[in-house]
Amino acid sequence: MADYIAVQAAPGPRSRLRPGLAAVFVALALAGGLAGWLTGNVFYLRLATEALIFGGLAMAVDLLLGIAGLLSLGQALFFGFGAYLAGLLLRDAGLSFWPTLALVALAGAVLGAVAGLIAIRARGVYFALITFGLAQIAAKAVYNVQALGASDGLMGVPVVAVGLGPWSVPASDPLGFFLVVLAIVMIMYGLLSYLLNTPFGRNMQALRANAQRLSFLGFDPWRYKLAAFVAAAVLAAVAGALYPVLRGFASPELLYFQTSGNAVITVVLGGVGTLIGSLYGSVILFGLKSVIGTYTEHHLIVIGLLFMIAVIFFPAGLVGALRRRK
Amino acid sequence: MNALLETLQFVYAPQVVNGLSLGVAVILMALGLTIIFGLLDVINMAHGEFYALGAYLGMSLLGIGVGFWTALVLVPLIMLPIGYLTERALIQRVFHHKDRHILTLLLTFGMAIVLEDLFKLAFGPNPLRPDTPIAGATELFGMIFPTYRLFLMGVGVVIVAAVWWVVYRTRLGAMVRAAAYDRHMTASLGVPVLRVYAGTFAFGVALAGLAGVLLAPVYSVFPTMGKDFILMAFSVVIVGGLGSIKGAIIAGLLLTQVQALSSLYISPVWSDPLVFGIMVLVLMFRPQGLFGRLGHG
Repeated sequence: MADYIAVQAAPGPRSRLRPGLAAVFVALALAGGLAGWLTGNVFYLRLATEALIFGGLAMAVDLLLGIAGLLSLGQALFFGFGAYLAGLLLRDAGLSFWPTLALVALAGAVLGAVAGLIAIRARGVYFALITFGLAQIAAKAVYNVQALGASDGLMGVPVVAVGLGPWSVPASDPLGFFLVVLAIVMIMYGLLSYLLNTPFGRNMQALRANAQRLSFLGFDPWRYKLAAFVAAAVLAAVAGALYPVLRGFASPELLYFQTSGNAVITVVLGGVGTLIGSLYGSVILFGLKSVIGTYTEHHLIVIGLLFMIAVIFFPAGLVGALRRRK
Repeated sequence: MNALLETLQFVYAPQVVNGLSLGVAVILMALGLTIIFGLLDVINMAHGEFYALGAYLGMSLLGIGVGFWTALVLVPLIMLPIGYLTERALIQRVFHHKDRHILTLLLTFGMAIVLEDLFKLAFGPNPLRPDTPIAGATELFGMIFPTYRLFLMGVGVVIVAAVWWVVYRTRLGAMVRAAAYDRHMTASLGVPVLRVYAGTFAFGVALAGLAGVLLAPVYSVFPTMGKDFILMAFSVVIVGGLGSIKGAIIAGLLLTQVQALSSLYISPVWSDPLVFGIMVLVLMFRPQGLFGRLGHG
């Protein structure tokens, strides 16, 4: 069967990553954070932190979709896994912030490898459906396990302090934790950009353009697919680990299709294959939700319509549309 | 011996029959999904919402005094132009893109989000339930079943047989199968392929709408009704083979029986993960499903 997913012509040998836009994002985020701090607007600082966390999840989806050409409809599996694991480690094992994050990253890689071995057997649309199915199994399981709080979720995650050398920032400090999350997300972005510019990363990008030619050149596409899948799992798990630190709980909703689907919407609105577009997309989406949310509770109609327009007219997304104009 | 018979009669048989009535419902959904995929290569993420749309249209018709049986006929007829226009106005726009698998999936996902919220806006979040059009219960082999469920099963069999007949025994069905097999060749033989596409999408959507009305008295009508159901339908379509009509029917019966009978042994909350587990296993070892797709053998 023809593999239609092998996507439109890749935009030349040049990468779609745009470091300039990443710098602009950091500058805007710092300005926004400062403004929030000066006006004492705790609500918006927390919301912005949450936007960054979900932006991290979207970045994982973009790594798969925009770089490796694999549409994941179940990235929430790793996000929720990270959130629950971090919640348990912080609450029951009494670990501090950084060891928790490291353990979650490690466990995320293991889970990613296991799920990846299952998922990348399938191609194209079947890959999308298998990730969807895996996440659905996990969501139903978590929803029914009493030890994980079942439908209530994992409650009572303590407020931890984030140690930064001689300093320590409590997660309850709105600006401090916002900056910590911003730093973590941007470091992950930086690591990914670096990885994608190595020969290994370039082969990973070749998956999207033409996986068959990759094997003609003597590289095994399977390895690069698995590597992309594991990297995306770690990214999503680490982003998920930040969630209970921010909100003090992890709920089964984090694993639902809603979460995976939202991440896909974020990527498409922000720009497929740009990585940084996911963060822009997430901030814009959260902003839209809270602005429209003040008028009506039916913000999904507007977001759904925007998403459809984006799919039809700008399949390359916001950042992609900017790029075309230049 | 007697004890065994009684176990069969009072423990297994009701579960089998419940499974069958759910199975018929799932097959009606799965048929539309699989036909749309088989011909258009489109994973219709909004199929569950079209099912809900059918149910809400039915409720609205009942609300203005139309009888249930008239509504049952009218709703699919109303759904046909809706589906046709949806395909022409939206799906065709991204259909010729090389990414069409992903783009059409995303587009129908967007449609699903908008439709679900529209239902909430128009009808409120609470479940509605029409009166059961056939009241009472029937005794069959010493067991009591709601008559409507038995009727549902009968209607399901008739619809499945009708779809089968249309696809495999009519000129229209031959065009659809030909277009699924080789659209360029079919187009050069003078078949209006694009209209066949839109018509097939409309047909699948109308089937979903019909299922919506049929099942409204059993499962009631609420904005997210499609979502819970579509997961099961997806599993059925995947296990049976995306694009296979026979597969959808057999897998539909199989999976709903697994679900119904397993809930005798394990907590019913675990029967869903079991079904998804089967789906994942099939995707791993036989991604093409149990049977081949439409137009291919």
